[in-house]
Amino acid sequence: MTSGNPVTSALDPGPQRGWHPVSPRLAWLELTRIAIDTALLVGACGVAWSFLGYRWLPVAAVALLALNTFRAVVSVRAARSYGYAERERDLLVRHGRMVRHLSIVPYARMQFVDVTAGPLERMFGLATVQLHTAAAASDATVPGLAPAEAVRLRDRLAALGENAGEGL
Amino acid sequence: MTEPGPSGTTPAPPGGTSLGSPADDPGRVQDATARFGDLRDAPGGTARPDSLSDAQDPTAHPDDLNGAPAATAHSDDLSGAPAATAHSDDPSGARGATARPGEPGGGRGGAAAGGEPRTRLHPLTPVLKSVRTLALIVAAVSWRGLQNLGPAHYAEALLALLVLVLLYSALAWRFTGYEVVGRELRVHEGVLSRRVRAVPLERLQSIEVVQPLLARLAGLAELRLDMAGGAKSEAPLAFLPLAEATALRARLLAMAAAAPGHPPAAAASSSADEPAAEAEPADVFRVDNTDVLRSQLLTPPVMFTPLAVLFIVGQLMFNSDFGIFALASMVTAVAGTVGAPAMRVLNFWNFRLGLAADGRLRIRHGLLETRSQLVAPHRVQSLTVTWPLLWRAKGWLRVTLAVAGQRGREPGQESRAETDRLLPVATVDTARSLIPLAVPGVDLLALPLVPVPAAAGWLAPLRRQVLRAGLLDGAFASVDGLATRVLTVVPYARIQSVRLRQGPLQRRLGLATVLVDVAGGAPATAAHRELAQAVAWADELTARARAAREAG
Repeated sequence: MTSGNPVTSALDPGPQRGWHPVSPRLAWLELTRIAIDTALLVGACGVAWSFLGYRWLPVAAVALLALNTFRAVVSVRAARSYGYAERERDLLVRHGRMVRHLSIVPYARMQFVDVTAGPLERMFGLATVQLHTAAAASDATVPGLAPAEAVRLRDRLAALGENAGEGL
Repeated sequence: MTEPGPSGTTPAPPGGTSLGSPADDPGRVQDATARFGDLRDAPGGTARPDSLSDAQDPTAHPDDLNGAPAATAHSDDLSGAPAATAHSDDPSGARGATARPGEPGGGRGGAAAGGEPRTRLHPLTPVLKSVRTLALIVAAVSWRGLQNLGPAHYAEALLALLVLVLLYSALAWRFTGYEVVGRELRVHEGVLSRRVRAVPLERLQSIEVVQPLLARLAGLAELRLDMAGGAKSEAPLAFLPLAEATALRARLLAMAAAAPGHPPAAAASSSADEPAAEAEPADVFRVDNTDVLRSQLLTPPVMFTPLAVLFIVGQLMFNSDFGIFALASMVTAVAGTVGAPAMRVLNFWNFRLGLAADGRLRIRHGLLETRSQLVAPHRVQSLTVTWPLLWRAKGWLRVTLAVAGQRGREPGQESRAETDRLLPVATVDTARSLIPLAVPGVDLLALPLVPVPAAAGWLAPLRRQVLRAGLLDGAFASVDGLATRVLTVVPYARIQSVRLRQGPLQRRLGLATVLVDVAGGAPATAAHRELAQAVAWADELTARARAAREAG
């Protein structure tokens, strides 16, 4: 295999055989989210400054800018790190670059599947698929899917879940 | 590479790989690591496996989130077909592939001829849902608003608010609804952020028709679906006219019962946990009441109470400013802290464990309010053994169970997933003999647990000696906690999902954390394992969980 030390790279995100990446638009979506956030906060700082004239407000605005730039870098990397793989009996989802996560969720444990699309997501033509199990801690969320792909994944999960389905 | 599955170049579905066969060959670790990620990162760069991506044909998939709300039944019809093609390549999916395409027609034909459009919920739904927030807003604004605006303007403002709410309701109503597609119930929700929840009817255990107060006034009802293994009622469908709700309930239950390989929901619920009308089983074990009392005295709130009392007395004697109200509040505070242990003493008084003929545990306890419950071992999701610091001298521990219960099966047992005491206080020997009744094959004194590597000392210098985890014969177990030591045991058959987590520092040290998720309890966490071991464990846990699931 390609990496020199497979053991230390076990949680490395990256398109492996079988790993589906999510849409690159997810990174732009995250960027837009943060940009809107920043614009609102910095705008509020600017308005407050023009009316009240506190000295620390511009400083706060600059700090916000710096912080959100950092957030942008982190979340773009995180958005790119998402990947999922449909195996015979379970769904693998991995994400995160700073803190790396890998979830293994058996289809047999699926309770229901959510396909969600917020307003920004719809603007970018994206949707999120989330697999719920009986455990609250289970984390199988795949954001940044094209709606067609989201529907396909949902249907496939539902079909696989039906086969493997059982109670506790 | 010992992996028998497809090699890196073959465009095969990932389902073809084996995370399965619990073989003992030494190649398994590399096997696992290779599967979890051995390629470098180039997001979106490589091609996807084609056998799956053929389902991506955009013409075949009108999306049902962006589209007009009424068009979804049609689009789902289409999306059923690619799902079938996506399956046909793996053998286990074949059943799904053959079963699915036929079903949408059948399900829909039974429901409403000519393609059932999404059924809308009752138009009052958004109003009822927002009425509470609305009431709060009105209440918050009222007096000041009335004062500032004057009655006429105030009435206008309220009217405007009402119109806004109605407009929103009308809009929201357009997007809410449900439909039955094949063997799935789909619930649509949300205006700005839209959600489609697909509920496989195979998993349906029971359906409740609930009428909250306001809904009852409007003649509406809410459907709550209980899923197999659900910790609580999920996917509520609110609100429908009562008659429609009852009819839908009957229809969904009929469909769930007709599902292949699934016992009828009603039968399943009646056979599983109905308190049998059999003779009370004889007690296997009784917890000594004095031990219960003494163990609750050895808890931090009680231990620190004398100090608090001394403080109050001291204040009374030396501080002239210390008034009666301060005294009263402090006395109340002391009573409050002592209250919890006192309640526990009352609750665990006469704690008895019995064993019914079919292997179920009968747990009875309580002085004022007697509680009695039957716990089937296969409903035990996880078992937790806790050694509180103050009990160490006595060598005591307590054992709790996370049980997936059934609501309303027994009086006083309301929550579906509740954490129950197996033993409120016991010695190791007692616990060792009784724990196998709940989780077979767990020997408290001979747990094959593995300590963490030395590198974990950088992240958890004190806990390093404590952290242990391992794969037992029938369960996964992990130990954590410095002062209060906690052992968590999760039977393989109850594992819901397995996660791996690796923080930046762990990555430096070559460590990772394994989390085993379970219904109705905290995940069993094996922190700071060597990465190779963590990956191998995740692999092995998934395989063993599947084997246990299929065997049971």
